[in-house]
Amino acid sequence: MPEFIHTQKGMSMKWLRAALLVCFIAVIQAGLANVLAVTSLNIKPDLLLALMVFFAVSSTSRDAIVLSFAIGFAADVITIGQPMGPRTISFGLIGTMLAHIHNVLVIRKISHQVVTVFFSGLLVFSISNFLTFLANHSVVTHAYTVVLGTSLYSSIAAPFLLLPSAWLMRMKTSRLNR
Amino acid sequence: MLGGVILLVTPQTVTDKFQLAFARIFRTPLGVSRSITLSARTSQPVKDVVSRGEYNKLLNQLANVTQQLDQAQQKVEALSGLHRKFAAADAKFVLAEVIKSSSTDIVINCGQNYSLSKGQFVMAEDSIIGSISDVWAQTAQVRLITSPKSKIAVKIGRLNVEAVMRGDGKGSARIRLIPVKHKVRIGDEVFALKAAGMLNWPMIVGRVSNCRTDDGNPLLWDITVKPVCDVDSLNDVAVIVLNQQK
Repeated sequence: MPEFIHTQKGMSMKWLRAALLVCFIAVIQAGLANVLAVTSLNIKPDLLLALMVFFAVSSTSRDAIVLSFAIGFAADVITIGQPMGPRTISFGLIGTMLAHIHNVLVIRKISHQVVTVFFSGLLVFSISNFLTFLANHSVVTHAYTVVLGTSLYSSIAAPFLLLPSAWLMRMKTSRLNR
Repeated sequence: MLGGVILLVTPQTVTDKFQLAFARIFRTPLGVSRSITLSARTSQPVKDVVSRGEYNKLLNQLANVTQQLDQAQQKVEALSGLHRKFAAADAKFVLAEVIKSSSTDIVINCGQNYSLSKGQFVMAEDSIIGSISDVWAQTAQVRLITSPKSKIAVKIGRLNVEAVMRGDGKGSARIRLIPVKHKVRIGDEVFALKAAGMLNWPMIVGRVSNCRTDDGNPLLWDITVKPVCDVDSLNDVAVIVLNQQK
């Protein structure tokens, strides 16, 4: 029982800190992530995706779902020139799915979280590309390569964000009562 | 979820305001990030006597002047000595700073407050880089010639062949529907054609970087055009605003 109380306390959400972290990562994603861009397709890591996975595997389902939509909204806002909504929906959907999966399957190890980032990226970017196509009928050139490349690159970059985020949020990245 | 769907069906002109508000609020950190990105991309030392940027600018200027000279000579021959005023004298240039850029669009800090309107051409380093696609009160969005949505009338300077150039979204543009009987060469200059009320004189946009026969029709060229201006390194651009009373 004491262990359970400790877990609940460890998972309590610090909303102001989370909001500032999302804003900070959004600004980094809009600006500095371009430094890491590779190939002529301008493939760069999606730090907001890694952040979504971090919250999904380290907070309660309700918090994770709220933050997934918020992170998706941030991803929409920083994508100037593109319709808003596709990322809010795709991040929200996949974040919700991850939060529910995390209720039955613990994603404890950092390597598992990296794999989660990769597969989440595939789903998130595929859905957002599809919704963008529905919204304005424009398709990213070499969409499959970009989706695969961005997911892979995001998963490689994820550990560099997951660990500092865990420290910053004073959160445990696994549930101890399992 | 409902919020996302509402955002999706909201007209882009409305949702753009959220995105531009973000760009305005975080202008300083985004500007710093942009400088870091640029310095990271141009870290290799330049050994030329004249910097590469200056060289490209002069090269573009030379191409424009040569083109204008050719036109002037043709005009002189046709009109038997009638004086022609230099076309650029009818235009004014609105200098603007780049707030945000992507591979297909840039956002500048001038808008309706500087009489900018859709369709006006935007130049940098003496070359056309795109045209205004959206204008707001204090900002405007420039669609680059490399954007898949960009479509401008051009001519290949040396051959005087006119065509439509479309962006390919990968940092280049494509020209199709030019018969292979025209001897297009790599390095040929490509000029934006005069457009009524928008551009009074042809201006360089790029150079032919690749030229091969079209996969679908071997009687036509599939020409790739590389812009002469490196948009990634731009901080300022000039919008061409023609005097309407002329």
